Amino acid sequence: MKPLWKVAAFEYRRNVFKKSFLFVILSVPCFIAFSIGMGFFIEKNRTDVRPVGIVDDCGVIRDAKLPPGMIADWAAGYAKPVEFILYATEQDARLAVESNRIQAYYLLPADYYTTRQVEQRYIQSPGENAEMQFFDFLQLHLAAPHSPQTAIRAAAGNSTIVRSLDGQRLIPAGGPTFSLLMPFFIVIAFFAMIMMGSGYMQSAVTDEKENRTMEILLTSISPFQLIGGKILGIVAISFTLLLTWTVIVLISIFIAAQVGVAWFNDLSMDWRTILASLVIAIPAYVLATALMIAIGSMIAAERESQPVGMVFVFLHLAPIFISWSFINHPHSTLAVILSLLPFTSMLAVGMRNIFTIVPAWQVLTSSFLQSICALAAIWLASRAFHHGMLRYGQRLNWRRVLAGKSGGLT
Amino acid sequence: MKTVEVSGITKSFGDIHAVQDVSFEVSRGEIFGLLGPNGAGKTTTIRVMLNLFLPDRGTVSILDGPMTEAKKARIGYMPEERGLYQDVRLEDCLLYLASLKGVPEKEARARLGAYLERLDLAEHRRKKVKELSKGMQQKAQIINTILHQPELLIVDEPFTALDPVNVQLVMDLMRELREQGVTIIMSTHQMHLVEELCNRILLIDKGRDVLHGDLGGIQDSFSGNAVLVRLRGDCLPIPGVQQRIPQNHGWKLVLEPGTTPQDVFKALASGPAVIEKFEIAKPSLDEIFIRVVGGGEIQ
Repeated sequence: MKPLWKVAAFEYRRNVFKKSFLFVILSVPCFIAFSIGMGFFIEKNRTDVRPVGIVDDCGVIRDAKLPPGMIADWAAGYAKPVEFILYATEQDARLAVESNRIQAYYLLPADYYTTRQVEQRYIQSPGENAEMQFFDFLQLHLAAPHSPQTAIRAAAGNSTIVRSLDGQRLIPAGGPTFSLLMPFFIVIAFFAMIMMGSGYMQSAVTDEKENRTMEILLTSISPFQLIGGKILGIVAISFTLLLTWTVIVLISIFIAAQVGVAWFNDLSMDWRTILASLVIAIPAYVLATALMIAIGSMIAAERESQPVGMVFVFLHLAPIFISWSFINHPHSTLAVILSLLPFTSMLAVGMRNIFTIVPAWQVLTSSFLQSICALAAIWLASRAFHHGMLRYGQRLNWRRVLAGKSGGLT
Repeated sequence: MKTVEVSGITKSFGDIHAVQDVSFEVSRGEIFGLLGPNGAGKTTTIRVMLNLFLPDRGTVSILDGPMTEAKKARIGYMPEERGLYQDVRLEDCLLYLASLKGVPEKEARARLGAYLERLDLAEHRRKKVKELSKGMQQKAQIINTILHQPELLIVDEPFTALDPVNVQLVMDLMRELREQGVTIIMSTHQMHLVEELCNRILLIDKGRDVLHGDLGGIQDSFSGNAVLVRLRGDCLPIPGVQQRIPQNHGWKLVLEPGTTPQDVFKALASGPAVIEKFEIAKPSLDEIFIRVVGGGEIQ
């Protein structure tokens, strides 16, 4: 095994096989599990299929002339329809609630037509499905003078599909689907990796300084092998995180789809946009890693890196601050420029991919620029590392890094 | 055959002249002492030799030519700023560092086992480095420096934190390596150990070569016309002795110009006192160091 790979393997083992990494790796799945658990809990509370009572003092339900079978047709539109029971008096409805035969009852007062006010009475708050279906049920009866078709349509409401002007993206009525947001999730995952990995990147350099192992290493291998190995090791750590999280997320999605969570009904993938996200995100990640190592080599203390780290975060997040521009004009000059520039391109392309298809030339140009910058950053990191490695407690400036002679320290 | 040839190296950092026109040679199988007070330029000299610093002037030939990446595996270096990975097990740490020097794992394990036994660290091999005492870490550092069987060993303060027993262990190890033909450049402030181990020395002060050569010759050149004696009986006045200074239960006799130690010995032997000790007074390396560096003996 070449020294580069030995350094990478050592860096990987040293960070991955320890308890704190287990905590990091489990943090996201635990968060997802918690979120899903909360979702199920909320969903369960929202859905209560017990009947709902109605006390109709104004006659809107009682007097409506609905054709036979119309209510059954209307109820068929719901996955879990709720039965509505008319009560002659509020006293009867109250008794039904108290005896748990119905989950709640609605009181339509005599002056409903003028006040529009409906009273909801319950011991324990009814499910959201019950509330939603009650108002649809009410609308159905209000629209009774019209044709059955119109009445049912009025009760069901409208469904809006959003289609981009160029026709390349379609957001269904229920909102963006999981598959549509997938490329964006990928770049967000990479962004999270950059943020979470910054600690590893910093410590990759500062550890050697703190452990005073720098000179031993540099009299064994070249700075390029050392720094290259460290970058590879950190990339491997990050991909371990990503892979683990991906597997857990996929299992969670599978379970959620099986259980019937609507958002996961469409799990088809647009592989072209996923690929576009990856070819930009991977060099962007390498670029950020190498730069963080370069900065770690140049600074005297870890706290000095925080302002620079903030600049990196801001640059990466810049597209989010102007996301309105991507929504309205996904092919605007600003959007294209941000999609090409290193740092901003990852999130810019990821966000544009939700609303349109980013042209291949932009993706390839961005990937090319990111790759060139990533290589330059590795070279710079290697140089900064070489020049800053023996400067315990001293800061190194960019001029010295760039002007230094090659082949040894100046 | 010269293992190291340093010729007129100069290295400055801004206005600070760390090393100025330093030259020396080290032969194969020699233990060479690189000495000097703190901040004298010893570490910079070593870093220039190892190509960690580029010299402003001068040349370095190491193992028959300029320093290259390939030669790194033939050199063992224990730097002043030393350390091991604190959160890694001792065995894993040393095996990793040996692997970077190109030692196959099986071979490294075998050698490591032997060295750990020899330096009394075998039972601590699975402990994390941070759990070891300073002395143990120092011995581990020494193992790391020699595990890949280097031809040239450069050690900076190898005896720090070691008790007398371990100092002896390491000294024996260094002598053994010298017997095997390993060239050793040693930097230390423990002058009595230099006297025991080194053939030749270079003393640097303020970046300059202030004393350089064979250790015995240097001591001779610093010895005045004096002898050390210990007698059973009275030390009567002796002709040709300028001054009598009590020292270590005996006397240091400073001789007048023209008087030889033989003259004094004959005079003492013919006197009533029994001679228990008689030796030419040679200054210790400590004394020479203080006189040269502190007293401005040589400029």
